[in-house]
Amino acid sequence: MQEEDPISVALKQEEDAAPNEAPRLSVLQWLRSNLFSNWANAILTLLGALAAFLMLRGVLNFVFSENREWVAVRTNLRALMTLSYPESQYVRVWVALGFVVGLAGLSAGIWSDWGGLPIRRLATWFMGIGGLIALCVVVREPSVLMDSEGKALSTLEGSLQRESFGAAMADRVDWWIAALVLFTVGAVLWSRYSSVQRRHVELPITSIVYVGIGIAILTLWVVPYGHYAFVDGTYIAESGTTVAFSTQMPWTVMWVLLGLGFLVGRFLRSSQYVGMSKTGSNLLWLICPFALFWVVLRDPALDYGHVMSTDLPMGLAFGLLGAGALWLLTRSDIGEAGRIAATLLLIFAIFNWVAAFFGWYPMLQKARISFLLLAFAALLAPNFIGDIAKRRQLVLGWVGVMALVHYLATMINTPSTVDLQSDEFLGGLGLTLFVAVIVVVLSFPLGVLLALGRTSKFPIFRMLSTSYIEIIRGVPLISVLIFFSVMVPLFLPDGMELAELAAVLTGYTLFSAAYLAENVRGGLQSITKGQYEAADAIGLTSAQRTGFIVLPQALTVSIPQLVGQVISSFKETSLLAIIGLFDFLRVANSVIPAQSEFMGVKREGILVVAMIYFFFNFIISKYSQRLERRVGLGER
Amino acid sequence: MAINSPPSIHHERPPLYRDVTVVKWVVQIVALLLTLGALWFLANQAGDNLRASNVPTDYDFLSVNPGIDLSSGIDTDPDTGGRALWVGMVNTLRMAIAGILVATILGVIVGLARLSNNWLLKKIGTVFVETLRNVPLLVQILFYGAVFASLDRVTAEVGPINGWLHISNKGLSMPRAHIADGFYQWVIVLLVGLVVANFLRKRRIAQQDVTGEETYPILSAFGLMVVVAVIGWFIHPIFGFIGGIFEALSALVSSIPETALQFVIGALCLGTSAYWIRGFLNSRRTPAGLAKLTDDDYFRMIFAAVGGVVGAFFFLVLWPGLSSWMINSTSDLFEVLGNKFGNGRSGRPLDVDLPNIVQTGKFPNYGPSGLNFSIGFAAVFFGVVFYTAAFIAEIVRGGILAVPKGQTEAAASLGLRRSTALRRVIIPQALRVMLPPLGNQYLNLTKNTSLAIAVGYSDIVQVGQTVYNQTGKTLPVVSIWMFFYLSCSLSISVIVNFFNVRMKIVER
Repeated sequence: MQEEDPISVALKQEEDAAPNEAPRLSVLQWLRSNLFSNWANAILTLLGALAAFLMLRGVLNFVFSENREWVAVRTNLRALMTLSYPESQYVRVWVALGFVVGLAGLSAGIWSDWGGLPIRRLATWFMGIGGLIALCVVVREPSVLMDSEGKALSTLEGSLQRESFGAAMADRVDWWIAALVLFTVGAVLWSRYSSVQRRHVELPITSIVYVGIGIAILTLWVVPYGHYAFVDGTYIAESGTTVAFSTQMPWTVMWVLLGLGFLVGRFLRSSQYVGMSKTGSNLLWLICPFALFWVVLRDPALDYGHVMSTDLPMGLAFGLLGAGALWLLTRSDIGEAGRIAATLLLIFAIFNWVAAFFGWYPMLQKARISFLLLAFAALLAPNFIGDIAKRRQLVLGWVGVMALVHYLATMINTPSTVDLQSDEFLGGLGLTLFVAVIVVVLSFPLGVLLALGRTSKFPIFRMLSTSYIEIIRGVPLISVLIFFSVMVPLFLPDGMELAELAAVLTGYTLFSAAYLAENVRGGLQSITKGQYEAADAIGLTSAQRTGFIVLPQALTVSIPQLVGQVISSFKETSLLAIIGLFDFLRVANSVIPAQSEFMGVKREGILVVAMIYFFFNFIISKYSQRLERRVGLGER
Repeated sequence: MAINSPPSIHHERPPLYRDVTVVKWVVQIVALLLTLGALWFLANQAGDNLRASNVPTDYDFLSVNPGIDLSSGIDTDPDTGGRALWVGMVNTLRMAIAGILVATILGVIVGLARLSNNWLLKKIGTVFVETLRNVPLLVQILFYGAVFASLDRVTAEVGPINGWLHISNKGLSMPRAHIADGFYQWVIVLLVGLVVANFLRKRRIAQQDVTGEETYPILSAFGLMVVVAVIGWFIHPIFGFIGGIFEALSALVSSIPETALQFVIGALCLGTSAYWIRGFLNSRRTPAGLAKLTDDDYFRMIFAAVGGVVGAFFFLVLWPGLSSWMINSTSDLFEVLGNKFGNGRSGRPLDVDLPNIVQTGKFPNYGPSGLNFSIGFAAVFFGVVFYTAAFIAEIVRGGILAVPKGQTEAAASLGLRRSTALRRVIIPQALRVMLPPLGNQYLNLTKNTSLAIAVGYSDIVQVGQTVYNQTGKTLPVVSIWMFFYLSCSLSISVIVNFFNVRMKIVER
């Protein structure tokens, strides 16, 4: 590997460095060596402690202040997640979520091998969290005194009246208990597992995580979190009760589904079908964003007459005739004629799109897409010439792709039956996740193509992809998005329309592809010349060389950068809020503050949004570090 | 093609549609034509649609009063659209430059904190980096904006230091140092001083090399600069004659005939392609004479020649206005410079105004004399600074970790002090690794300032959006954005590359 960025190498080595078996230090020794080794260090420690104290106090005072209206967020949780998805159809959201959760459990069962967590480590976490809670309780300033009507009392000069420090500590007795319980549990575990034989007893991480999630969900049934919601526009606020049944039940089902999926996955892993189930779960992940969004959430009203007369015959025709054509094209005696036929097919497929723009002859969009796909398959056909099993691979793959494409195209073209209250069909976190996933999925092939173009030996292709990448990377995303949401309608010929979401998705994808291409290019440059020469030496065609030798290695090398790109794509979905779509940031920033009950309550919602983004990104980045270690990057 | 080659090879030439070179170039040219055709078609379509909706695509709005007020900037009530966009550009650049400076300082501090052997500092640094880089910038900006908007209302006694520093829900107001009359002449004095100081520094270094004594070259050059600056403060009006030179230049440029420039541009196009072809042929020249050229080489040369001719044709026939625009703008530039450096500017080069609070309508507000930062500015500024600093901290940490430990040990064994080793051995090597990603972060910061649109700070995107909402000229405004950001990106990468080349290890 010649071209790897030295900074990430250095950081990785730092992370990977095995923690030395440090000699056991007493508390005093540890303090001296880590915090007070000399006078400069001591001053830094004191300054740092002061800064940390002020920051913690500021955050706690902000979060627990009497002026915070967290009720606004609790009431609008559903709006933050799905905006105005109709109440009566809400089961669809749960079905979609359940599918994802079950699939996640299944994949975790098939793939995951998270190992164990030493109980002593768990014990230190318990003690640490207990100590942190105690620290927070002491650090937060005393609460404001309230009169009997719940109004804050203030002194004559206008400043707020606060209770005394002792009274504040006494008021927070429940927090003290929580801290004490956590600390005691931790301490007991620690001491019970401190003997030499039991020091390394471990619990499997998967079950810790599962039980943790389960405890969190089961408290919904017991703990009186209060019930706050907008039901059909009326504001319900009941403190002292548990949350509504319509929240408790689905989450419990999700938890059960997660466990079931995991068990099935574990069963498949030990069975003989492990390879097939790995492929299958990957395929399901690829399909599920499209299927869940357009089929489950959108609930298309199928017109069966049209399906029987047009959609089904067309899908069958493309599937079967295309399969026949591909079968012929993979005959071993096809020779030159195969390539010529594939090229002609490609020209015809491209011509269809040109004709569509000028309106020369009508053709269903999915027919155009199918012809294009068929042309690509035909171009790939020479790589599958061989025995029957090899030819069957291509043909069966083609039939599968056609079935999927035609099914989804039919569904997408059918109008939705969901009773929409706003222009956009989905909003909130759902929209954010949908856009992020679609952008990542669609920009990946485009980015790889651009990277190949930029590193190719064809000067014009190189020039075109380089200028595309550099222009896109030189302008901010927001201008690209505005360009696409405002300008795209201008570029289309009469009678052609593009929904705003589709226009924005196009902009996002094109933008993200340019960045992705740069990451893939880094990987491509790390492939040594010998690999190319070896591929040529065993007589691979250039498509085979790229697909089987170069790209697999290049993509493996660029996994960290690709994951980084996924994270930034996800972060960039927040820009949806600016261009007029209702993602969950927009809900927090302008929908909630506009409600008459919560006029101008902005900071709470934005803080929650920030925490959700943080949660996802932090998990992805930590996971990518593990993944990197597993594929053994930088160790060859 | 090759004449000398034996006929047997000639004989085995594949048919045209299987000839690698031909296919390769035909495919490329077809792809190029398709791309250009698609672009042309889309542009045409957009033109038709715009004409149909009665919004012609022209740049007239640049000289028409847009009737908009900007929230902040050098001119909050611009009298032309061009002026409004200019204010937006200045705001963007101001934000970007201030952001780059502060984010770099903060990022270096946090990066070093993460490397220190102090446990507490390390943890604080880690929390800073992990929190800030995992929360989207827009969310941070909106949050800071919401927090600042809930500060106290502005009054004369809002504090914290009345008359000097005010912080309120209208933003921050503090004393403003600004360029006054005579600044430009003073800069000339400083430039002269710089040349002399550089000369002094080199002499001192030479002296140090010869005698081995410590001569403090940097310190003495800096001292000289201070002396020159103080003297220049009083004597700068003598440089007023420079204005005349610039005015003469302006007259000279405007006397160039348009057609001459046009032909120069055309000739430049042709010359460039001829030069390239010559260089290409030279690179194929062997000691024995011109090497055999492959078909691929012929295609390249033909392509270069056609490109040159098309370029010349484009500038000569299709776009003759370019040359007059170039002449006019260059002449204007020199005229403006002539004005700035002209005689009769004898005031102080710099001046300071204190903030004031005025009440014109119902509510008091900051007056124009202080340096005012609006809530929007503060929100975007803190957003981009914190966000970018988190990334810069990681770059700094990685860069220093990338220097092998042997370097530190070698420096120590030479008897260098720790600070000297850092300055002379570690940091130069770390900087070499850090520069390219650092440049990337500066680019990102500049582009990220466009999120100002969310909190209403008048950067170029926000002003542009207001302008096209008023006039409907979307396409021109978008083209100005693209042009502006591309030139920003280009200048930053040129600067970074310059340093990059300078820092590179000279390899044998």
